[in-house]
Amino acid sequence: MISLTSPVRTRAHSWPAGAKLGALAVAGIALFVFDTLPAQLAAFAGMLGLYALPGRLFLRTGMERLWVLWPFVAIIGLFHLVTQTWFEGLLILLRLVTAVGLANLVTMTTPLDDMIAVIRWLATPLRRFGLNTRALELSIALVIRILPTLIDNGQRLIQSWRARSRRRPGWQIVMPFTLLALDDAEHMADALRARGGLVDKKGDFDGT
Amino acid sequence: MERNVVLIALFAALIAALGLLPKFTLASGIPITAQSMGIMLCGTVLGARRGALAVVLFLVLVAAGLPLLAGGRGGLGVFTTPWAGFLFGFPVAAFVGGLVMEKWKSGNTTIVAGVAAIVGGIGALYLVAVPYYMVMKPAGLSEALITAMAPFMPGDLIKAVITGAITGALYKARPASVLSRA
Amino acid sequence: MTTISAQTATVSFVDLSLSFQDKLVLDGLTYLGFGTRIGIVGRNGSGKSTLARVIAGLVVPTAGKVRAFGVDVAKDRKAALETVGILFQNPDHQIIFPTVIEELAFGLAQQGQSRAEARANAQQVLAEFGKSHWQDVSIATLSQGQKHLLCLMAVMAMKPRLLILDEPFAGLDIPTRLQLTGYLTRYEGALIHISHDPEDLRDYEELLWLDQGRIRETGPTQAVLENYLQEMERLGGQDDISDLAS
Repeated sequence: MISLTSPVRTRAHSWPAGAKLGALAVAGIALFVFDTLPAQLAAFAGMLGLYALPGRLFLRTGMERLWVLWPFVAIIGLFHLVTQTWFEGLLILLRLVTAVGLANLVTMTTPLDDMIAVIRWLATPLRRFGLNTRALELSIALVIRILPTLIDNGQRLIQSWRARSRRRPGWQIVMPFTLLALDDAEHMADALRARGGLVDKKGDFDGT
Repeated sequence: MERNVVLIALFAALIAALGLLPKFTLASGIPITAQSMGIMLCGTVLGARRGALAVVLFLVLVAAGLPLLAGGRGGLGVFTTPWAGFLFGFPVAAFVGGLVMEKWKSGNTTIVAGVAAIVGGIGALYLVAVPYYMVMKPAGLSEALITAMAPFMPGDLIKAVITGAITGALYKARPASVLSRA
Repeated sequence: MTTISAQTATVSFVDLSLSFQDKLVLDGLTYLGFGTRIGIVGRNGSGKSTLARVIAGLVVPTAGKVRAFGVDVAKDRKAALETVGILFQNPDHQIIFPTVIEELAFGLAQQGQSRAEARANAQQVLAEFGKSHWQDVSIATLSQGQKHLLCLMAVMAMKPRLLILDEPFAGLDIPTRLQLTGYLTRYEGALIHISHDPEDLRDYEELLWLDQGRIRETGPTQAVLENYLQEMERLGGQDDISDLAS
């Protein structure tokens, strides 16, 4: 499964994920607190500058990912235009795009494994509330493992539909699709049990 | 135990797969993305607790940087918009939908599931998403209703009905597969 | 190769190529088949299943032309759906609807029949197969062999002139396989049967041997099969199972 991390290697790639997330949280709060046009423009420009630093390819990918926001920008922009509160709208839109841009920047410079390590770290205190962290790790691995199979199943069902109809596949396909997924679940659960199961022994969770 | 973990993982993958496959069509030819149906199906098929956990797992993976949202989107960015309330509302939608299925055992599965999908996938979801939008954008109630609810509601209504139909068909094909009714 | 031949041939391809994700899956295939029982044999990974989908018009070739009974299956989907049917390997990846009658009626309704007509015709097909009692049965209660038969009935109900079978009997036990083959003899059109197992194809008129996306040999079944089997044994003595895709 290809993650959204950028293949263009930046210095930020090797910074600890926790630190980047912390910085993002601070930046997010700052964006709300410093509510003036100059501040928002500066933040927006700063965000764009950060994207430009690692080079053209990085910048292009980053902008492509921001571009998907355009319907939302349009909705908000239209509303503020119609209600003649365009200044407020401008501030809000700047903040919106800057926030998404900064957050995506963290995603683009943080490998998947690092993010999962942070998740694992965040989940550790929840163990005393009954969260089985080994189950959490396993389930992440299972999702990544099973997704291509599900997509395969979906494509075969779509072909079965297209072999008999010119119309685009209808919602009815979700039904056998779900059944296949449930069947796969049974088999995988059996395989899991056959290999020792999931009982969370406190001793064996120390990162190994 | 193992079965629960696998089911949760599988349905998280199902939500992702529904977003990654090409759009489906309704009989009238309107294309719809099936991903939000996947959310509601988690609730109606797996029940409240497992369904919600499956959705949470899905969101965790999206946040970690996997392009699992419809259209291959993902990462932290989607969680910072005023519409992120929908994302946070998804597990609540699945939970409430699952609760309806679990509490209302009698009655035709298609209808119960349809109601569950509406109560959870629309009622509960918008109860989270709209206030979130009001706080985060920020916006007044009427603005929130126009820009955060009105564009998506009709589509969601149709999807809720279809979720009911799918759940009913699942129950018809293999009753044991609809775990919320067990 | 005249146009007239191409129009009446069961299947024809000219310089057919298909690339997928930078990999050349089918490489310049050219073939004219006139028989009503054509087999396609080859190792797994030789491109047979892809070729099946190309002939059915489900996959568009990157180069070259393919026609079934003169129909350009990739471009003219309407005519293709009336001319070509395809049966896939795994019924679980094929059956869409929860009951037998719905699955049968689906293709018929998509061909333009009204719901009532489609249903009536589906019931007719069930009667012809002696399976009227299956009408409202739920798919989940059918055995693997029964599901295979259902898929076969669903495709045959659409009365295609050409039926492509993509390893349709994989994994079935011998009696089930024989019974299903028996049902196949009811079919009055042309069959293209794809298999890696020569036993399925012994009664076929001509054979096409596909090897790594290219036509290795075509001709009368007996001769081609002998060569194919020899080659398979030879490869069995080697170790290409070790090779990873680059």
